[in-house]
Amino acid sequence: MDIERDNDGDVAIFRLSGRFDSAAAGFAEGGLGSAVTGTPRLVLDLSGLDYISSAGLRVILVLARKVQQAAGKLALFGLRPTVREVFTVSGFDTIISIQPDAAAALAQVR
Amino acid sequence: MLSFVEETTLLLLDDASGEFVDMPVSSFGTVIAGAALMDLAMHDRIDTDLEKLTVVDKTATGDSILDDALAQLSQKPDDAQGMRILEAIDRVALQSQGYSAEALKRLTALGILRQDSGRFLWVFRTRRYPVVDDREEQEVKARLRQILLTDEIPDPRDVVLICLVAACELMELILTPDELAKAEPRIEQLRKMDLIGQAVAKAVREIEFIFRYASGAA
Repeated sequence: MDIERDNDGDVAIFRLSGRFDSAAAGFAEGGLGSAVTGTPRLVLDLSGLDYISSAGLRVILVLARKVQQAAGKLALFGLRPTVREVFTVSGFDTIISIQPDAAAALAQVR
Repeated sequence: MLSFVEETTLLLLDDASGEFVDMPVSSFGTVIAGAALMDLAMHDRIDTDLEKLTVVDKTATGDSILDDALAQLSQKPDDAQGMRILEAIDRVALQSQGYSAEALKRLTALGILRQDSGRFLWVFRTRRYPVVDDREEQEVKARLRQILLTDEIPDPRDVVLICLVAACELMELILTPDELAKAEPRIEQLRKMDLIGQAVAKAVREIEFIFRYASGAA
């Protein structure tokens, strides 16, 4: 999996692509976790993500928890149908904000 | 920190009597197997998706229970391709009584349980295990109460424990009846969040349906 970081004002935008599984989890946890400083405002662009497993979900859950504890905000967008299905079946879509596009995700965290 | 197998074994003991709570042996085995699989997932030895469970690392963990469970999942030539989560649970559940017995030994060695002889138990028929030091158990219960009664995002470990407690229908050990009624939507939300937990819950429901049907109550 690849992770690219961009910033839009005070919002950190991470673009994830490839497979988010146990092989990528450690790398992703370190990369995404590094953005949780101060009052974090994070957007994850998952439009390049082909696959997510339980290990990937756990990384996102840990990230969401850290963001909440820091009184920050997190939003996701761009989920492909197969990835969206995993979020729906696991109920993660009831815990984490999933927005239809980048603009809505940015508005959600501001 | 206790493993999920140890924590689940502790949760399944009635504090006062030292006996395991009343549940079918096959449900007990399913829950313990699920706990072992969740331990393996937390140790990055297995991974799951909506279709299958896959062993991603065969390296021993150093925990005899988990290493045995890992071996159960790596026996067949095509295991590397993954298997249905329910198949994995069934395989590991065959060893679950041994896992629970080992967990009881460890909890006794840690001073959390004390072993008394001479009573017949429903699952383990020669020993009872009164709780001596309940700090660990109380800490777990307090943490789960906090998650269940607020909108706090749980950590993955708490999700697993909530899945296991819900699968055993033991939420009344954590919440009062009033709290339980109010927290029902939250429990439903959280118990979905672990795919192994979902499979354990499904398996336990099926076992209990069969028991009710067989006893004429269905």
